[in-house]
Amino acid sequence: MSNIQDIKPKLGIPRAISYYNNFPFYYGFFKSLGFNIVISDKTTTKLINDGVKLVVSDTCLPIKVFAGHIINLLDKGCNTIFVPSIQSTGYKINNCSKVRGLPEIIRNIINRPFRMIEPTLDKTEGLGIKEFCFEAARQLNIKDEELIKSSMDAGWCMYNNFIEMAREGVSHKEAMENAISGKRTKKKIELVKPLSVVIMAHGYNLYDERISMNLLKKLEKMGVKAYTSLNITRQNAIDSIHRLDEIQYWANELDLTGTAAYYMLNNKVDGIIALSAFGCGPDSLMVDEIQYHAKMRNMPMLHLTIDEHTGEAGILTRLEAFVDMLSRKKRKEFQKEQPKNKAVISKINEKRVLTNI
Amino acid sequence: MKAKISEEQLNKYSKNMDNNISAKDRIIAWPRMGRIDIPLKALLVSLGAKVIIPPANSNEALELGVKNSIEGICVPYKLNLANYIMALNQGANTLMMFQAPGSCRLGNYTKMAQKTLKRMGYEFDMVIFDMYQSKMKQTLQAFWHVTHCLNPFKYYKGFSLGFNKFFAVDEAQKQLFKIRPREINKGDAEKCYNKWLKIIDETNSIWKAKSLVKKIKKDFKNIPIDDKKFVPKVFLLGEFFVVLDPYINHDIEKILGDMGIEVERQIWFGDWLEGVLKPSFLNKKESHRARCVKYAKDYMKRPIGGECIETIGDTVYAAKNGIDGVIHLLPFSCMPEIVSQNILNKVSKNEEIPVLSLVLDEQTGKAGYITRIEAFIDLIKRRRIKINEINKDKKEIINV
Repeated sequence: MSNIQDIKPKLGIPRAISYYNNFPFYYGFFKSLGFNIVISDKTTTKLINDGVKLVVSDTCLPIKVFAGHIINLLDKGCNTIFVPSIQSTGYKINNCSKVRGLPEIIRNIINRPFRMIEPTLDKTEGLGIKEFCFEAARQLNIKDEELIKSSMDAGWCMYNNFIEMAREGVSHKEAMENAISGKRTKKKIELVKPLSVVIMAHGYNLYDERISMNLLKKLEKMGVKAYTSLNITRQNAIDSIHRLDEIQYWANELDLTGTAAYYMLNNKVDGIIALSAFGCGPDSLMVDEIQYHAKMRNMPMLHLTIDEHTGEAGILTRLEAFVDMLSRKKRKEFQKEQPKNKAVISKINEKRVLTNI
Repeated sequence: MKAKISEEQLNKYSKNMDNNISAKDRIIAWPRMGRIDIPLKALLVSLGAKVIIPPANSNEALELGVKNSIEGICVPYKLNLANYIMALNQGANTLMMFQAPGSCRLGNYTKMAQKTLKRMGYEFDMVIFDMYQSKMKQTLQAFWHVTHCLNPFKYYKGFSLGFNKFFAVDEAQKQLFKIRPREINKGDAEKCYNKWLKIIDETNSIWKAKSLVKKIKKDFKNIPIDDKKFVPKVFLLGEFFVVLDPYINHDIEKILGDMGIEVERQIWFGDWLEGVLKPSFLNKKESHRARCVKYAKDYMKRPIGGECIETIGDTVYAAKNGIDGVIHLLPFSCMPEIVSQNILNKVSKNEEIPVLSLVLDEQTGKAGYITRIEAFIDLIKRRRIKINEINKDKKEIINV
């Protein structure tokens, strides 16, 4: 059995950028095409430093991390690496230039020989997900159309499984692991937490434990329920954006503006946390948009900016202060409501007294 | 399928141009960039509109823009916003701006500016040219909306005046960059340039406007120049706005010209406008973009928005045509140009051409900026002398 595994060609997928949202699809697709998939290690400080050495200083953290992951894969002896260029996810709904030009950047900054699989997803130009998959297969010298189509189905199967689990409330990491191994779990029973927040962030920032400094776990420890973009449907996100009188301009707009808008409009959360990388172009606009609407609706908001120098202590302090503020606000609201409750209670008591007499 | 269509329609930029303001009362303003105010003014005035030109970009304007815009946005937006505010303060009530969704943050500019200005309490109407769908129709529609002019002759006059003035301004700048490093009496070219800007501004007939380019070429030839002077040539590339606006790039052409360097720009507003507005079957010449895509082939396989592919293509073009160096300008946190900055490192190494990337924003200090340019120019000059010597040696060997 192990021999067969060795014979299969290796395909490296970096654990960065589109990995966090689309990996189950990639995994199902390439596995069924007959590849042995190698994932790069989890992000570490060393890995970030490897990436920082290659790119110019103005580049944002996720791209630096991506470059580090490519180096990691090359060190592992993987010579075929999957670097997709996701240009637009809808008509005139474009991605950030750096994500669009990911293969261009990688081709020009890494001087080692390796093969890059670089399909393009550009719905503005009519290159949908089908063309994306066929392009990837063509670059891997696979011409069997039936095989590609069945592989796509395998990919969708895993992806849908992942999305459904994540929507039910299974954590991102667990959902990913289960989806890949073909399992299906249900969410554990959770205690109702006193506070809840929505996090607006790109998947590659939030679910990378090194980049986000374990934000989700920190919130869990503080007793705060955190909602993310995986918890709502695509249609809900789109509708919420339109309800705010905004338009979807960026490809990641649903993950950020859409998610925050949905929870804000439905009054399901006590506050909003925005997590963005320093110098991120789309985020600068989207966070500002939500900040404006949050201010109008009196919703507290915290904007955390991260880069490779960010200290964990600083983030923790700000997070604690924000959570403290939220709980004080909630307590105050309760106290305002209490006098009414007291009156009701006293009335009930009076009745009792009367009947006793 | 139905849901898809409605989604697309919802995502279209709201074209609810207000009709609250009657065409007579409209006072039109637009953001400044280099000298585009001259041709645009001619166009709108000949259509019978009143215009206000906000003061040129300055420290004061930048401060105003920085104060009212968000932290992470790029410099061009900050300056545009300041132009709007200044124009509205002077009494304008119609703002014009173009946008191209899908390029970069530029597609979001008008939407954000509209919101910010409304929040500040201004009342105005913003007319947007959407540079993506049926460009000429869109443009005509926008001009009709602001002027309600029905006379076709006026449109003809306006557009031909505007276009010819665009080309004339571009030509004057081209000549200025060529003559300035070679002039014998310092300041001659600049004087001539300013004189011609004034003449271009005052020209009011189509015939005169059409002959402007020729006249400018002729007049610049009268300036005494030093033919034998050794003048290295530099390409100026980068993001559209910072290359074209002399305030934000600290008038880099003048700095370089005074150092004895000839500057060549590949981005011209006239060219760009022609490329955008002219139907593609009328373009017989290879367009700038097509040339860039061809030259950038080894480094980039797909355009990624903004002027990234232009920057890379022009750098390769420069290297193949014996240009001495490339100066690459970008505003801080510009997404497409950061990609090209990453790629330029390799282009510079492979094509053997020196490249200097300069990041500009409101914090840019002029002294540090000039020091870097000076060092770069020294490098270019020494490199050119070296190459000339090698070539001489080769020739001598052949002669022997």
